[in-house]
Amino acid sequence: MKRPVRPSTLVLGLTLFFVLAPSVAKAVQVHGPPEGFVVHMMGHIFFTSALLFLIYILHKYPIDNRPAWKYFKISVFFWLIWNLDTFLVHILSVRLPKEAIITGSHLIYSKLKGPFDIERLLFYFGKFDHFLCVPAMYCLAMSLKDFCKRVEEQLETVGSDEHVI
Amino acid sequence: MMIESLPLFPVYVVDFIGALLMVIFSLIAFFYARRLTILQPKSVLWTYMFWFSMALVALAVSRGVGHTVRFVLLYHGMPGLWKAIAPFSGGLNTITFTSVAVLTFYYSNVRDVIDRVKNDAEALYEANVRLQNAQEALRRLNQNLEQMVEERTRELRQSEKKFRGLFEGSKDMIFFCNSDHLIEDINPSAVELLGFKSREEVIGRPFKDFFKDEKQWEMFKKELCEKGHIKDIEAELVRPDGSTRHVILTISEMKDENGNIRGCEGIGKDITKMKQVTESLIQSEKMASVGQLAAGVAHEINTPLGIILGYAQLLEEECEDNKDALESLKIIEKQTKICKRIVGDLLKFSRSSSDSQITDVDVNECVNEVLAVTEHSLNMDRIYINKNLAESLPHIKAKKEKLRQVIINLLNNAHHAIEHDGIIGIWTEYDEEKDEIRIIIGDTGEGIPPEIQGKIFDPFFTTKSVGKGTGLGLSVSFGIIKDHGGYIEAQSPPKEKRFVNAGMETVMIIHLPVHQENLEDEQ
Repeated sequence: MKRPVRPSTLVLGLTLFFVLAPSVAKAVQVHGPPEGFVVHMMGHIFFTSALLFLIYILHKYPIDNRPAWKYFKISVFFWLIWNLDTFLVHILSVRLPKEAIITGSHLIYSKLKGPFDIERLLFYFGKFDHFLCVPAMYCLAMSLKDFCKRVEEQLETVGSDEHVI
Repeated sequence: MMIESLPLFPVYVVDFIGALLMVIFSLIAFFYARRLTILQPKSVLWTYMFWFSMALVALAVSRGVGHTVRFVLLYHGMPGLWKAIAPFSGGLNTITFTSVAVLTFYYSNVRDVIDRVKNDAEALYEANVRLQNAQEALRRLNQNLEQMVEERTRELRQSEKKFRGLFEGSKDMIFFCNSDHLIEDINPSAVELLGFKSREEVIGRPFKDFFKDEKQWEMFKKELCEKGHIKDIEAELVRPDGSTRHVILTISEMKDENGNIRGCEGIGKDITKMKQVTESLIQSEKMASVGQLAAGVAHEINTPLGIILGYAQLLEEECEDNKDALESLKIIEKQTKICKRIVGDLLKFSRSSSDSQITDVDVNECVNEVLAVTEHSLNMDRIYINKNLAESLPHIKAKKEKLRQVIINLLNNAHHAIEHDGIIGIWTEYDEEKDEIRIIIGDTGEGIPPEIQGKIFDPFFTTKSVGKGTGLGLSVSFGIIKDHGGYIEAQSPPKEKRFVNAGMETVMIIHLPVHQENLEDEQ
């Protein structure tokens, strides 16, 4: 029966190989132009998954239905929608040909050139992402404001060691 | 109609205004998050909210600044510059929402840990509560136990007091011995009974030392070992002064929790007085029966004796010439008279109360009258009278002649005991407590040997040589005094020191009650 190779033997062997057979160093790698975009998109995916996870947690362990948590849930929902929207707009902007944006002589003359298929329409309306992220931030602020109010009320009655949540 | 293009200006305007609103709202959110962490710095949720808001502020600022700058640059026709700045803005955005994501995942894990810690803390708190409850229950139990112990101690103290009172106050002897039969504890009555002054003198002494007869102790011990107890056994205990006490003993073994013999405990009842009374009663009964017998015999013998005496005297008249015969007849006459006197004494003994009148008698006067007759003959043998008569004695109802006879008998006995060269002491006294008069006649003779002390009142018992005494004197005296409701007590040596100091070896004490109703009834 063949004996399995020990991990320590493998590590020692590899170390010896790299020491005895040196080559060009691979430690520092050059990052080309698409990497920034990919990283940004991965960041969106990561953010989306985190928000989904947060929604799952809030759904699995419901706390109460008072304004603070309601605002927070709405905020998370808007952040999720905003995230998906920006993700989509990023993809669509890559797919959009350069000549589709007409900058003109001045900013006020910038235009999105047709023909307007679904992608181009989605791109155009998707660009209004502040309609999603502003309510998200507003709800977050309101949520924290209500939390603050509750904590202050609580502290007046029960003391600093008792937590509202 | 087909739309050829859509203006991007509204997009830029919304971006510009939206970016400003984002910055404002994010700063408000940051303010409240910061305040929450200040209000409750230990809260993990507020810490998460703080960093969540912080990251979103960074995102809002980054995007807001980015959009504003882009709007300004594009508005001023510098798209090239915006192209150079845009990657930084995008990178910063990436970092911010990545941070938010990391915080969210991190918070969840922390929350799990917190939950676990919280659960542990709650479990610990519950355990602590249970422990406190248990401690409280234990405290209450302990308090209850203390109360119970206090109550039991009080009961025990009361019980101990009760039994201690019984032990100390009992008129019977109570004692405890260890396994070597050495006295461990003894009550005051027992100390007094055994003739000691204090308990300490008795404790530690072997119990057998108090037995007059060592064989009796051995027998007791054997029975105690065999049966575990002895019950109502009479014993004679000896006191340090040599006197004895008769006691009824009941002794039980004491055992420890393992069944080993720890010693014994016992109760003794002093029956010395009862025994004396019993002996006196026996004596009285004996005297009464002998008296009846003597009366019968005397009655039967008296007649033949009278005939013998009569015929002897007749023959004396007829044989006046025959000297030998006359001498023999004189002897017969003399001996017959002796017999008649004895018979007469016996009749007196049996019917001692029948032929005398009861009068008021002054005992001192009675004594003086007797001494007036007898003192001369006593002085002839150089026996002198030491007279100590009480000054004011109450008169008693008595038969004066009989009383004189008793005093004469006792003086005769004292004379006989001394023979010559001695003192006869006479005391009279009144005991108010017992309401009796005592006439005490003592002598400086050799005393009465202990072995015959119980027989001196028996009829015909005498230590005098043949012909000198009939052995009826004390018996007759005993009968006379008994008829007066009293009794005669013999002490040799005397118990009271005043008699011993007066040199008396024997004292005869006549106890005469001052008020004797039966005597008058009999009369």
